[in-house]
Amino acid sequence: MIREIMKDRFASIALIVLVVMYLMILFADFIAPYSKDFSDRNQSYAPPSKIFVIDENGKFSKPYTYNYKREYMPELYQAVYTLDRSHKYYINLFNRGEEYKFLGLIKTNIHLFGVEKSGRLYLLGTDINGRDVFSRLLFGGRISLTIGFLSLFILFPIGLIYGGISGYFGGWVDNIMMRFAEAVMAIPSFYLLIILAAILPSNMTSTQRFTLIVVILALIGWSGFARVVRGMVLSIKNEEFVLAAKTIGASDLRVILKHILPQTTSYVIIAMTLSVPSYILAESGLSFLGLGIQQPDASWGNMLKEAQEYINILYRPWLLTPGFLIFIAVLAFNLIGDTIRDILDPKGRIRE
Amino acid sequence: MKRVIYLIILIGIIVVSLPACIKKDNPDIQPEIPITQGVNIDKYSINQLFPNPKTVTIKGVDYLQSQLPAGNLGGRIIASTIGEGPKTFNPFTAKDATSSQMANMMYDGLVSANPVTGEVTPKLAKSVEIKENDYIIHLRHGIKWSDGKPITADDVIFTWRDIVFKGLGNTSVRDSIIIDGKLPEIKKIDDYTVVFTVPKPFAPFLRILSNPVAPKHYFTSIPNWEKSFDRILTTTINPKEIVYSGAFHLKKYVPAQRVVFDRNPDYYEINLKNQKLPYLNQVVYLIVGDLNNELLKFEGKEIDTINLQGAAVARYKAREGKSDYAIYNLGPDTGTMFLAINLNNRKNEKGKPHVSYLKQKWFSDINFRTAIDYAVDRDSMVTNIAQGLAAPLFTSESLNGIYLNKNIKGHKRDLKYAESLLEKSGFHKGKNGLLYDKSGNKVEFDLYTNAGNTERESIGVMIKQDLADLGMTVNFKPVEFNTLVNKLTNTYDWDMCIMGLTGSPLEPHNGKNVWASNGPLHLFNQRPPQYNKDDRLSWEKELDNIFEEGALKLNFNERKKYYDRYQQIIYDERPIIYLYSPTRVVAIRRKFKNIYPTTLSGILYNIEEIYIEDNK
Repeated sequence: MIREIMKDRFASIALIVLVVMYLMILFADFIAPYSKDFSDRNQSYAPPSKIFVIDENGKFSKPYTYNYKREYMPELYQAVYTLDRSHKYYINLFNRGEEYKFLGLIKTNIHLFGVEKSGRLYLLGTDINGRDVFSRLLFGGRISLTIGFLSLFILFPIGLIYGGISGYFGGWVDNIMMRFAEAVMAIPSFYLLIILAAILPSNMTSTQRFTLIVVILALIGWSGFARVVRGMVLSIKNEEFVLAAKTIGASDLRVILKHILPQTTSYVIIAMTLSVPSYILAESGLSFLGLGIQQPDASWGNMLKEAQEYINILYRPWLLTPGFLIFIAVLAFNLIGDTIRDILDPKGRIRE
Repeated sequence: MKRVIYLIILIGIIVVSLPACIKKDNPDIQPEIPITQGVNIDKYSINQLFPNPKTVTIKGVDYLQSQLPAGNLGGRIIASTIGEGPKTFNPFTAKDATSSQMANMMYDGLVSANPVTGEVTPKLAKSVEIKENDYIIHLRHGIKWSDGKPITADDVIFTWRDIVFKGLGNTSVRDSIIIDGKLPEIKKIDDYTVVFTVPKPFAPFLRILSNPVAPKHYFTSIPNWEKSFDRILTTTINPKEIVYSGAFHLKKYVPAQRVVFDRNPDYYEINLKNQKLPYLNQVVYLIVGDLNNELLKFEGKEIDTINLQGAAVARYKAREGKSDYAIYNLGPDTGTMFLAINLNNRKNEKGKPHVSYLKQKWFSDINFRTAIDYAVDRDSMVTNIAQGLAAPLFTSESLNGIYLNKNIKGHKRDLKYAESLLEKSGFHKGKNGLLYDKSGNKVEFDLYTNAGNTERESIGVMIKQDLADLGMTVNFKPVEFNTLVNKLTNTYDWDMCIMGLTGSPLEPHNGKNVWASNGPLHLFNQRPPQYNKDDRLSWEKELDNIFEEGALKLNFNERKKYYDRYQQIIYDERPIIYLYSPTRVVAIRRKFKNIYPTTLSGILYNIEEIYIEDNK
């Protein structure tokens, strides 16, 4: 399948982008020059570091950067950052910095790149508390990009089995089960989440709290999926191989699980890929409203919240980078989902 | 063939993007610093004190005469209000700031305050005589309600005796003048003289007279008015029916959009040329959803005045020279941002302590609280979070308060001193850099604030780091606003909390709800209502006494001693650690004259005196 995806130009780019993203968040500790909580008070809203390759004499040099010097200008009501040219900080590969546990196992202090301790390397500037936006993007991605899968693992088994049983037995069982699913579908999810965020116990950490919210999201979200599965099962159950299995004497459950549900695989895979982005967006939306992941934890949604003030967009455009990443990730998932559909379901192919 | 094309495209991209990566280090080029031109009103000040209006009598009518330069009639000013707009136009039932602001446009009080000094000045009253416990109000002769009926002593007595003292509508005024369980007495001398008699000398009383006066004949003309008091002057009223005394009256209210006020042609204030005020024909309040919205509306010239915050100030300052507005830095505002520590040592109904015994021990330790105070980095908060538009705060009175204790100088961040204090109380740092108490328990507690408020969340992140420098483990938890309020006022199960309150800069007695041990906002040691066990801390007792006795002294200097002492107690005991007080910066279009914003009174307090300079 991967080979087939790679044949499609857009999908292959999307796949590479996603693989790179997931690798980056997996190795976030190693790649990020700072931890997510590292902050320098004197560098609040510092712009991205300027990296020089040609030195002041016009010669090529190892890349280096300068620290920023912040001066508060009372007559402008503004802090102005100027380069402090007294010391050059060369960018080192495998730089020694803050200690962390590599993949949660090996204690080390080697980061992919960085500058010496007194220097500051901010690839994408800093936020209000003087924390490196680039590092926080990587750590924030850990939540934003994985939260979607979590809910899929709850949503799909429920949807499959519920839809399978309903479609297979038909009649009044089907009638009752489908009416119930419709009732679940009618719950307005976003308002439910806002209420939930208010009544959840406050002693949960933001990750626990968000996990719970996602679980609840999944518990509402299965119904639409179950309906489609039921429709598919209705047509599959009349196929000859199902009749054959029944004649041999296979139990109902066995027929559903072994013979009918595998026929829906292609739809399941497509639906899964296409629903991941909606959870990424849900996370961003909730965190943006202050209901999801809370400070000081990072997620793309709550980082984007800082760019909410339009003044910040004008003066500190680097605060918009989480939004850009959300856009890329969602687009990539959708592109791949589309291509997978084309591959698994050639009849529905739109693009040639 | 295809591969070759790809290769060429790839090389092309690299060639194009390479120069962007290769940056030349040129020391001569520094980032551009924006230069401001034009008016530089740095620290705004009114050169001479704001002149109080005087009373002049012309043909038997006691007019109020504005002492500001005379201007010309016409035009309108558009201001804004954030939120949902007014919920009522009845000044006696209004509970939120927007509603009372709108209602007070139409109903004047007996007195008002000077916007610079805070001194009480006459408004609807011609003068107020104070003889021991008697406040003798002399009303103006010849001034009228909008329907032509004279404003007399009957209206004043009706307002106080039949509305305020009976507790109709919002009872906060009534609650604030109960002295020793008794209300003042009110007596009519003649049609233009009223006497209030207070049971004891009570300093805040004079200012309370700024409460609006209601038109008796209008209120009583409504059938069954006492029972249906909430239904008087609702937002659905026909504006033509309203009987008012203020400079402006309601013309139109479009919910969620705007409130339009028209000029009162028969107002009792005149200018130096003896022309009737107000100058403006119309005052419009646009109802805007949030700060961003308001900012965009100001930029689009839809509104004429705005309060600026954070980075917006820098942007507007930079463009001030080329624009039609001026920026005024009014100095520290009445708002305070603070860190409260829960000193509650009581149990809930189930017999469980609100705060665990372990934490109670830490929090009740003055060294522990002082260490926190010394570890908090106020300067960074001011420069980073408030972006320079704030001042570090150490006192419970706001920096523009007239009762501010100027002897409390505060201190810089001092980790060494903080650590020495902790050591004194037996705390010690472990090898892992974490703090442990005498019995070896890790010092760890929760810090709450309301989620969705970027400013408070950033403060929380900062305090978490500040206290981590002492080895304390702080679990910072922004929670939904109502959850937080429930914790603070109901369940009391919190450790520390970042909050903000707005106090009155003129009347410290208004802070009684926070500082009195049975006050409804006594956050740091909240007692349930109807709690009658006396378990006050020694300094809580002293605070109770100060707020009892301070109100009884009428002389400013004598009173100030009491309130100086109360601020000193809060500073010494640190149940609430004050962080900073924001600076108020406003932008106002230059065409408006006679507009002198102050932190005490805001922008539009003298709305009747404001005029437009060049009214073509």
